[in-house]
Formats: sequence, structure tokens, C-alpha cells
Amino acid sequence: MLIAPVFAQTAWWIPLYPLIGMALSLLWSPAVIRRTGPRPAGYVNLVMSLTAVVHALLALCVLWHQPAIDISASWLQVAGFEIDLTIEISSLTIATILVITGLNFLAQLYAVGYLEMDWGWARLFSLLGLFEAGMCGLALCDSLFFSYVILEILTLGTYLLIGVWYNQSLVVTGARDAFLTKRIGDLFLLMGVLAIYPLVGSWNYDDLATWAATADVNPTLIALIGLALLAGPMGKCAQFPLHLWLDEAMEGPYPSTILRNAVVVGTGAWVLIKLTPILTLSPIVSAVAIAIGVVTAVGGSLIAIAQIDIKRALSYSVSAYMGLVFIAVGTQQVEAAFFLLLIHALSMALLVMSTGSIVLNNITQDLTQMGGLWRRRPISGLSYLIGAAGLIALPPLGGFWALVKLADGLWSTYPLLVGILLLVNGLTSLSLMREFCLIFMGTSQQMTVRSPENIWLITLPMTIALGLVLHAPLILLNLGLLPDWLTLNRSLAFLLVASSLVGGTVGALLYLRPGERQPVQLPWQFVQDLLAYDFYTPKLYRSSVVFGVDILSRITDWFDRYFVDGIVNLVGLASLFGGETLKYSNSGQTWFYVLTITIGLAAIASFMSWGLISHLFGTLLG
Amino acid sequence: MLSVLIWAPIVGAAIVGLLPQSVSTRNVRLAALCAAGAILLWNLWLMTQFDLGQAGLQFQEFLPWLPQIGLNYQIGTDGLSFPLLVLNSLLTWIAIYSSQENTERPRLFYALILLVSGGVAGAFLAQNLLLFFLFYEIELIPFYLLVAVWGDAKRSYAATKFLLYTATSGALILAGFLGLIWLTGASSFAYESLLGQTLPLGVQVVLLGVLLVGFGIKIPLVPLHTWLPDTYVSASTPIAILLGGVLAKLGTYGIFRFGLGMFPEAWSALSPWLATWAAVSVLYGAMAAIAQKDIKRMVAYSSIGHMGYVLLGGAAMTGLSLSGAVSQMVAHGLILALLFHLVGLVEAKVGTRELDVLNGLMNPIRGLPLVSALLVLGGMASAGIPGLVGFIAEFLVFQGSYTVFPVQTLFCVVGTGLTAVYFVILLNRTCFGRLDNAIAYFPNVAWSERVPALILMWLIFLLGIQPKWLVCWNEQTTVALVASLPTVGPGHLTDLHPLAAQPLPLVTPAIAPPAQLPG
Repeated sequence: MLIAPVFAQTAWWIPLYPLIGMALSLLWSPAVIRRTGPRPAGYVNLVMSLTAVVHALLALCVLWHQPAIDISASWLQVAGFEIDLTIEISSLTIATILVITGLNFLAQLYAVGYLEMDWGWARLFSLLGLFEAGMCGLALCDSLFFSYVILEILTLGTYLLIGVWYNQSLVVTGARDAFLTKRIGDLFLLMGVLAIYPLVGSWNYDDLATWAATADVNPTLIALIGLALLAGPMGKCAQFPLHLWLDEAMEGPYPSTILRNAVVVGTGAWVLIKLTPILTLSPIVSAVAIAIGVVTAVGGSLIAIAQIDIKRALSYSVSAYMGLVFIAVGTQQVEAAFFLLLIHALSMALLVMSTGSIVLNNITQDLTQMGGLWRRRPISGLSYLIGAAGLIALPPLGGFWALVKLADGLWSTYPLLVGILLLVNGLTSLSLMREFCLIFMGTSQQMTVRSPENIWLITLPMTIALGLVLHAPLILLNLGLLPDWLTLNRSLAFLLVASSLVGGTVGALLYLRPGERQPVQLPWQFVQDLLAYDFYTPKLYRSSVVFGVDILSRITDWFDRYFVDGIVNLVGLASLFGGETLKYSNSGQTWFYVLTITIGLAAIASFMSWGLISHLFGTLLG
Repeated sequence: MLSVLIWAPIVGAAIVGLLPQSVSTRNVRLAALCAAGAILLWNLWLMTQFDLGQAGLQFQEFLPWLPQIGLNYQIGTDGLSFPLLVLNSLLTWIAIYSSQENTERPRLFYALILLVSGGVAGAFLAQNLLLFFLFYEIELIPFYLLVAVWGDAKRSYAATKFLLYTATSGALILAGFLGLIWLTGASSFAYESLLGQTLPLGVQVVLLGVLLVGFGIKIPLVPLHTWLPDTYVSASTPIAILLGGVLAKLGTYGIFRFGLGMFPEAWSALSPWLATWAAVSVLYGAMAAIAQKDIKRMVAYSSIGHMGYVLLGGAAMTGLSLSGAVSQMVAHGLILALLFHLVGLVEAKVGTRELDVLNGLMNPIRGLPLVSALLVLGGMASAGIPGLVGFIAEFLVFQGSYTVFPVQTLFCVVGTGLTAVYFVILLNRTCFGRLDNAIAYFPNVAWSERVPALILMWLIFLLGIQPKWLVCWNEQTTVALVASLPTVGPGHLTDLHPLAAQPLPLVTPAIAPPAQLPG
């Protein structure tokens, strides 16, 4: 054990491994290394991810119950202003990194199988490496400034990941929308970052918390700053109204979806949790966080039920769960928020892996074209069921404990929110059950007739994730992190389980009806359309922000072309015209020129000696 | 030592221009490249000699010329001009490298480029108003010819417009200089004899206004900008690189050196208006860029917006914002040069710059994958994505200006968002999507054509990750400049920002310490 502390002290190397993997896999871009084909790009990344996992695991063993190690280095020092790169190596951050790198490793293994028939390895794997490095860096860094930097780089990563995926038809607009909606959130975050510094004089989360404990600030100012800081995580966590990007990002490749739905959305929540001391300074900000969380949680879980694209259905459930995290942070339940994030990451990764394994060899994401796969795809089906059970409140799996913890904390202060929690949990159960029935139950359809389980490269990571979801409560119990059953509010637990069961049963009743499969029609077509078209958010954007910018840019362009440049050209024309006209006043006779010169000279002379003349007259008259 | 930067290019220009007709075009280009490379090396050597701890002038040279009228050959450099000198040498080399090997009339072309380089270096180095003015005007003629002879179909219109605008700019600057000399009664045009002048504020404001319009044309600031899109678009790639990368910096350098440096009181009085002007420029440039259908024009308009950040940093008059503004000049020079180079490559290979025609160049087999990848990074650098040099420069400007002009700064932040909008439009249409296989028979991009882009990209990355190496050159000078200024009068956080009525920041050292104006 002599060597052990080294692993903790060098934990900041962990983000570097995937970064190296990223750089190396770029070598297999087209036209650089041709001889080997693109596959080594994936293997390099796998090795690097595995290194990161092992390092994180060793570091965690060392750090458990040990004080955190803080490392600080000056990054930039200019004109009395300093940006420090501070890193916090603690059991919490390393555990987070372990989850991130572990899921990344699984997703990359999955990608090796998924991209069997593809040649875009270098770009996909290098971007996966970038994401992994960014997320590990975000977990480690203890500075709001660098959190912003990383979030913004990940925004670019999302853009590229979707944009270079030529196989899907909507990638170009998807990439654009994803980038711009995320960027809106990032820019507000930047404004918050700029505005908080003059008040605190530091961006370190610890300093922010210390300052917030005794801060005496103008409530309006801190509310505005808090709202700006809230907007960044809102974008990342796909909260209303910045949730559009997650939906659009579903055009990207499936292996990246595993990461995006499971951990990338969590980056926003991570920053949000770190910012809790600042956000709680203003009751308005807390209220807004809760309100956004409630709207997204309820809206997202409703919309998820109305989607026919399996990836999109899952992505709205992600938004909904992130909404719950927002509620947790808004009510200062930081522990519950972390717990929920972890459980959500594992279960959602499993759900996405399972559906991805279905999508890969049925060549459709359309739920209405699936069905009857239970007998052909038992492993995927089981994975889906366990993933769903892990996400919703169903004991003894993780979701139950996380939701109970959250509900327990809410009960005494915001009992109404417990109702929201029950509703969201029920709706999510309904939606997951609906998806399960549509994919696995019923009769086979044209697209699902031939559908064997995939190769081990896909099935193995999926089953490992299955094991993780199943064991998560056990692991947490052994670490002493699970809420104590004896002190638990059992009636709340009962209510949560009941809501899961009711949701699941309604889903099963609706979608297991015997006979020809018919889409469920709500009595109000308007509501159904509203949900199916995502509250018309794309339209809303198009008719507000996009329209506004478009019109304004056209007006500016018109103004520029015809007004500003018009005046310039007019002046030019006028002088040309003036020159042309003056030309004709030249008679060619010498006396005319002499006269002009004389008059001109006289004028200049009298102007220059005006002072003298007036003085002269003054003395003469006076 | 510094004279080399002025005279070596001019001697080089003479040699290249007088090469016998038997020398092939390629070799003429090579000769010019060697000359520019030698100057760049000299500049790199100067970098090792430059004393980072010193705020004042370094490597001064003095030679009496016409002392009767106060004109002396007096040069020197400090943290304000030195980064721009290096940028000038670098971009001259890049511009020559990115020129086509079969340029027509190569002797004249390369001689003029070298002449421009010498003239610009002279303007940055001059420590005498009249000398500055001479160099400032000298580079105008080669630029006019470079646009008028080697430009595209609309070149004569563009070149004339450029000439008229810049001549007006020169006339205004001369008027401002002469007014300053006459009104202060200074005996010489040397900068140091004019620092700390004590003219009445009203006169100062008028003189500053004249200079602002003069240099504002060069930068350019809205609404003095309409020469820019026409000229940049009509000019060939190397000339566009020089125009956007170097020439525009003369304007911002001028307003810092002469506006801020010589009229600190008037500058301070006008600073809220200047900051507003900067914000308007940023938003206007970005909005106009969004509406463009030609990628080169789009990049040209992006330049207008990015120059606004420099003005904002200057208006705020804090050490941080000024340092950020000077860094932004360099960052913008690098990014714009990269973008113009890549846009030029796309045009040369694909044959069009129309957004509606371009598509799918990222295609790894038949497209231009590396060019597209670099274009993505260049666009993102321009849009201020962290990790690339554009971000840190803009960030320093924003952070330095926020305490002084919060509202204007926030509008400029919105401007970076709009920058992202038009670059996403550009990249989506140009790089992403499906390449039409029927038309995708592009000539190969040679490695030599990629070299300038790779060098610039490397610098953009390096300085973005280690910004210390970007700001260290100007830090001492900008801080000393701010320390010599009166405090920002009308535009303080407490005045403009009613919300901030509470004890001010912990960062006081970053804000200008109140110092009395000498005299």
C-alpha cells in the first residue's frame, strides 16, 4: 500500500487519458492512417478509458474517508486579476469520475459493436474522448470559470458529434438547434460568471460558498445573477424552454446517446449543485429553479408518452428527471440531488443501451413499427425492464431510494411538490411501460420479424450495466449511503410505489389490449397534438427568437446596403457630378483663370488679415 | 534594431521588384517568402530581447530629420505596439505563403506586399506624429494597387472606395494632429512632448472626435464601415488577410495610442458613448453578417463586430480591459487571417462562395475534410469558444469592462452569441450535410496550401490554452497606461448600474487607481 497515495495525488491525470485517446484516435481520420482501417481509433480510446477507470478506482480506494486534496495552479495573471485552476480531489469527485469513466468505457465498448459496419470511427471516438475528458475535468475542477469553459467546450462537442453524423437525415438542423439552444444557456452563464466576480473576487466554489454565507447584496442584483447562473445548467439539463437541444441531439449516433442521456445532461446539474449557496441567496432564484423543475418534470414526462420515436421518448424522460434534480436543488436537497443523478445515470444508460440494441438490427426508431420482440430478444427485454424498474420508484432498486429520499425531504417543507413527484413517477412508469409494450409485446411487425440478439460487444456492456443497476442499492448500502429503512417515512414510500404501480398498470392496460394495435387517442385532439409536438417548442422558437433575429438581420442588411452605403455612394455620385458640371465652366481663356485666382487670393488675404483690418477700423472709428 | 523591421521589407520589395524577367513566378514568390521569413525571424529574435517587465519604450532609435518642423526619425516600441509588430510580420509571411503560385505580375505584387509590411511596421514604431502619419499614408497606395490590380470583378469600385475612405481618414488624422500641435504650441511632433497636454476639455473633445472618426474609418466602426465588405471581398486572399489582420489594427492602435494616450480626459468624458458605440458596432456587425449569402462577406462583417470588443476594452479604461483589448487585436488578427485563408481555399477548390451552393465539404472522401475541420475550429474561435484564443481575449475585455459599463458589456456578450449564429449558418451550409457527388470533383488541396492554416490554428490553440503568452507582452504597458489616466469619470458601476449601490469589488487593483494628471 506504499504506492497507494500516489494514485490520489495524481488523480488529475484522469482527464488527460481520454484526451490522449482523443488525440490519438484523430490519427485514424480519413487520409492519415489508411493501412489499418479506422478501427484502432476505437481500441485506443477503449484502452485509455479503461486506464482512467482503473486509476479512478485506485484513487477512490485511497481517498475513502480521507480529507480532500486541493491542488491549485495559476493559469492566468494579468493586471492584478488572477484566474486559478483549482482542482478538488475528494471521494465525491473521484466517485463521480468513476461513474463517468465507467459508463464511458461501457459506451465505447458498445460503440465498437455498434459501428461494426461504419467507417466514421475516428470522429466518433475522438469526440467521445473529448466528452469523457470534459466531464472528468468538470467533476475535478473547483472553479466556476473552468466549469463554464468546459460546459462551453462540451456544447461545441455536441454540435460536432451530431453535425458530422451524415447517416441521419436531420443532422444538420439538429446540430444547429442543439448548438444554439445550448449556447443561449451558456451565454447567460457567462454573464453570471462575469457579474459574480466583482462581488466575490474569486470563482472557486469554496470561496463562493464562504462569501454567500455572509453576503449582504442588493437583492435585485443577486436575483439577476442567480437567474443567469441558473440558465447555464438549464440549457445543459435540457429544461424548459431550453430542452429542444436534447430532442435534436437524438439525431446523433446511438453510442453517444447513452452518454448524453446518462451523464452529459448531468454536467449541468453538477454545476447547479455546486452553485447552490449562491442560488439560495435569492428566494426568487430558488422559486424559479423549482418552477422550471416542476414544469419540465411534468411536461417532459407527458411529452415522453406522446412520442413515437424511441430515442426521443427516452430523452423527454431524461428532461423530466433532470427537472426533479432542479426541484431538489431549489429546495436545497443536495444529497438527494446527487443520489438521483447517480441512479438516473445508471438506469438511463441501461435503457438506452437496451433500446439501441433493438434499433441496431431492426433499423427503425419508430415505436409504431416495433412489437413482439420479447421472445426473440430476451436479454434486451430484461435489460429494459430492469432499467425501467431502476428508474422509477420500485423497491428494492435505486430509483425507489432516491425518490423516497427526495420526497422525505420535501414532505415537511413543500408537501405540494411531493404530489408532483408522485405524478412524475407515475407518468414515467406509464411511459416506460408503454415503450416496453410497444417494443416487446404484441405481434411481430415487418421490421421486427428477424431480430436476433446482437454480438457480444453490444450485449456485454448492456448486461454489465444491468448488473450495475441491480447492484447499485447493495453497493450504496455497504458504503452506508442508503437512507435508513427504519427512519424512513413509510407512507411516502408506499405512495411512491403505488404511483409506480398505477402508472405501470395503466400503461399495460392501454398497450396490451388484445387485437389490432391502435394508437391511443385522447378525447382532446388539441392536447394530444400539444404533447406530440413537444408543446410546439420548435415552432415557438421559430416564431420568436429565430424570427426576430432573422428580421433584425435583414433590416440591418437593408439599412447597411441602402442607407449607410447609399449615402456614401450618393456623396461619391454628387462629387462626380459636381466635377462633371464644373468641367463646363472652364472656358480656356486666360483672363478667366487670372480673375479666379485674383479673387481667390484676395479672399484668402482678407480672411487671414481680418484681425488686422478690424483692428485698423476699430482704431480709425474709435 | 527596430529599423530593420521598416527597411528590410522595403529593401526586400526593391529587390523582388527588380528581379529580372527570366526569374519564374515561383521563384519570385520564393524570394518574397524568404524576405518575409527573414523579417519574421528578426522579429522573433526581438521577442527574446523584449523586456517584459518594462512598461515604457524599448529599442528606441533617434535620428534628426527635419527638426525645424519637429519631424524626426524617432522610433521605439512598447507593449502596445510590439505584439502588433509580431502579428504584422507573421501575417505578411502567411499572406505571401497563401498567395497563388501563378499570380500575375508577381514582381509588383510581392514588392507591394513587402512595402505594406514595412509601412505598417513603421506606423506601429513611429514615436513622432508626423512620422506616424507618413507611414500611415504610405501603406495606403500599395493597398490600393493590390486591390485594384489583383482583385475580383468589382475591384475598381472597391479599390476606389477604399482609397477615398482611407484618404479621408488620413486627412482627418492629419487635421487632428496639426490641431493638437498648434493648440498646445508644442515644439515638436514627438509623442512625449504631447503627453500630459492641458487643453480645455471642449477642445480636447473636438480633437479626439476628429481622430476617432479618422481611425474609426480604418478600424472600421459602424457607420464608417461600408468600404470594408466591398474591399475585403474584392481583394484576393493574401490581401484580405493583410487588410483584416493588420491594417484594421492600425486603427485600433491609433485610437489607443493617440485617443486614449493623448486625450485621457476627453476620452474619459466620452467613454460611456464609446462603450455604447462599441456595443452598437458589435451587434450591427453580427446582425449584418447573419444576413449575408457570401461566406467571404460574412467573414468580413464578422470583423466589424470583433473590432467593437477592442473599442469596448479601451472605453472601460481598466488595466484588465485594455490588456484584453490589445490581446483581442492579436487574437482577431490570427483568427481572421485563418478564416480568410480557408475561405480563399474553399473558393479556389469549389469555385464558389455562395452559401446556397456550398454543401457537405466535411465529406472525408470527396470533400475538403481538413479544410472544413479547420474552418469549424476557426469559426468557433471567432465565436469565442473557450480553449481557443478568441475566448480569452474577449473574456478579459468583458471582465475588465463589466465593472465600468455593465450594460454595454452584456450587449457585447449577446454579440458573441450572434457570432455563433452566423458561424453556425456558415458551417452548416459549407461543411455539414450531404455532398452532391455529381459536382464533387475538387482539385486536391496540397499540403503547402494547408501550412498557413495549420500554423495559425496551432497558434490559436496554443494561445488559447496558455493565454499568459498572449497577454504578457502588453500587460506592463497597459497597466502603466491606465495608471497614468484620470479615473473614469462619468461611467462608473454605481452610476450606470443602479443595482450595484454597495461597496465595490475586491478586485480594486484591477481597476484604475485614482491618479492625478501631471500638471
